[in-house]
Amino acid sequence: MDGKTRDIARRLIRGEIGRREALKAFAALGVTLGAAEIALNAAATEALAADFDWKKHKGTKLKLLLNKHPYADAMIADLDNFKALTGMEVSYDIFPEDVYFDKVTAALSARSAEYDVFMTGAYQTWQYGPAGWLVDFNDYLKDPSRTAPTYGWEDILPNLRASTAWSGVPGAPLGGPGAHQWAIPWGFELNNITYNRVIFDKLKLSPPRNMNELLEVAAKITRDAGGPYGIGVRGSRSWATIHPGFLSAYSNYGQRDFRIEGGKLKAAMNTPESKQFHKLWVEMIQQSGPKNWATYTWYQVGTDLGAGASGMIYDADILGYFMNGGDNREHGHLAYAAFAANPAAKGPTSNVWIWSLAMSNFSRNKDAGWFFIQWASGTDHLLFGARKRDMVNPVRQSIWNDAEFQERIKNGYPGYLEQYQATAPDAKIYFTPQPLFFNLTTEWAATLQRMVAREVGVDEGLDQLAESVNRQLRQAGIG
Amino acid sequence: MRKVLRALALGAVLVFFLFPIFWIVLMSFQTNEQILRLPPSLLFTPTLANYRALISGHLVTAAGVLDITFLRNLGNSVLLSTASVLLSLLLGVPAAYAFARFRFRLGEDIAFTLLSFRFAPPLLVLLPLSLYFQDLGLNDTYAGLIWVYQLICLPLILWIVRGYFEDLSPDIEYAYQVDGHSWGQAFRRIALPLAGPGIAAAGLLAFIFAWNNFVFALILASADKQPVTVGALAFVTASGIQYGQIAAAIVLSILPTLALALYAQRWLVEGLSLGAVKG
Repeated sequence: MDGKTRDIARRLIRGEIGRREALKAFAALGVTLGAAEIALNAAATEALAADFDWKKHKGTKLKLLLNKHPYADAMIADLDNFKALTGMEVSYDIFPEDVYFDKVTAALSARSAEYDVFMTGAYQTWQYGPAGWLVDFNDYLKDPSRTAPTYGWEDILPNLRASTAWSGVPGAPLGGPGAHQWAIPWGFELNNITYNRVIFDKLKLSPPRNMNELLEVAAKITRDAGGPYGIGVRGSRSWATIHPGFLSAYSNYGQRDFRIEGGKLKAAMNTPESKQFHKLWVEMIQQSGPKNWATYTWYQVGTDLGAGASGMIYDADILGYFMNGGDNREHGHLAYAAFAANPAAKGPTSNVWIWSLAMSNFSRNKDAGWFFIQWASGTDHLLFGARKRDMVNPVRQSIWNDAEFQERIKNGYPGYLEQYQATAPDAKIYFTPQPLFFNLTTEWAATLQRMVAREVGVDEGLDQLAESVNRQLRQAGIG
Repeated sequence: MRKVLRALALGAVLVFFLFPIFWIVLMSFQTNEQILRLPPSLLFTPTLANYRALISGHLVTAAGVLDITFLRNLGNSVLLSTASVLLSLLLGVPAAYAFARFRFRLGEDIAFTLLSFRFAPPLLVLLPLSLYFQDLGLNDTYAGLIWVYQLICLPLILWIVRGYFEDLSPDIEYAYQVDGHSWGQAFRRIALPLAGPGIAAAGLLAFIFAWNNFVFALILASADKQPVTVGALAFVTASGIQYGQIAAAIVLSILPTLALALYAQRWLVEGLSLGAVKG
């Protein structure tokens, strides 16, 4: 790489020239796209190193525990830059998602010092954090000797920062007073509609905007599309059935999972409004859902959409994003739309899943681990992931504003940016944080299954669920 | 007529048991798109892409090219299962002979304790064990895993082989000892060869159980020491399920057990029928 190439890259990084201008200058020098990219990454690394002693932990060996996910793949593809920046050595273990959290829980509960940094969801921190297994990042974020001035914590979307912080008091708001920052957001999912444009065009349909339209459109697809069923949603006996489309729609009707009475949690799933919403949801699945709905997880919902077996899904936007590529039959045929279940709501209220980075409290390299987390959740790496890999959805506002990222998404994923813009303001975790989250939410899914299978009526099922939930909360001393 | 009916019944039984395997073999030669088409079809242009991906270690998905370590997982399974069964045979067969031939204090209690290892829920054992393993430096080692695999293999071999030794008449061994040989020689020269088919059957069964184990390595070892049961899950990714590669992985992962079972079939049949003709 000659001096001129490096100079152009540095000026671009410093914001002295624009991207188009830089590309022209590279072209004039006869620099290939690959060489320009290397020059830019190196210049970005230099710029980072200029303001902060990134070499402070040179020679330290870090070990990461990762879930097999496109976010992890993007990080691994860029890992050499972190090594060059810090002089640290990084190794990692990757486990498939089906067993990933078993591995994390086992490592943490055994107080293992093997892994320094690991991927986690925000819900899992409600178990890991209060148990004393996680590092609270608040101290790190406030310490200029440990956090680079260019890190830009405030650039991470405020709802995501709040959703990964909790005081540990059951029912206390996420990100509220005394909240510990148990994890740093890394990538996240909104829940909206992804639909098959070919089917919608054939039947002259528009994407549904609320529950009533959803029921109508889904029924029409099931009836008239010649094979595909109307709507894909999850249905397995798992907490994961509740958290995507279901809870997003439920929250849109102003409903909550719990209410707080005298500092104690009480089940709130059996209000008249909640019963009304559950009836709509159950009817939707009975009329237009998949035949084996009760076995449906992320994988089945996505696979059916990608294979043209369903007309639309109400699930994670990134699931629709992934299904629009690769060797899926319907790649290039999918589009995206924001969804506010309640016709009277002012906009969507998407519950979010946040893949985050957390640090083991048993790590012997905590300061070095924080350096890694800073880099991995920093603007440069996330920009690389969003532009060149599948690191969507980005957790930083600056990356959503990035012209190259916007252009890429606009070209391949119609409606994706618009659904994000419409949903982002009220996208957050709508569950009430409490230690029985996984058990109680799984029981909610089991009740939903019984309702869909007509084993129990909606009103009766929800009353039984509330009774059981209240009993368990009392037994745990929080209800 | 009777022959025809018998052939039909036999055919129906074969289809019932072999069709899933046949379907998986077919899937292993198809792309994801071919597998997921509606309705499914038996006619397709076969591809070796799935096997190529497993062998080369590069998996093309909707989210780009992923590195996979399936062959390493397969190698780990072979190593862990073989070494565990060999160690169990070394320890279990003499122990089984002792329990069958000699009465000693607490003998039955010890035998039952060993059997009870099979009853314990693995996670209940594994979490405390992982603490000890960290202190002993056995965490994330093949030696540690082979040791833990004894929880699967040793009770099986001990109790099955003990039954075979008990079925053999001790008179032959006594006669041999009357000729001036020690009980150790009687064990090696008489009891072991006679119980050979039973030992082979128990060894094969233990191998299958060890091969199918999932949770021990998951909790106690790093990604590079995981067996094929954990490795096969890598094809279920956030960006989609790679059905073709899963099918190819299943085909490759049943081959070692299948080869072993076919090779040992003669002794297996002999071993399994030995107990059945006990007078």
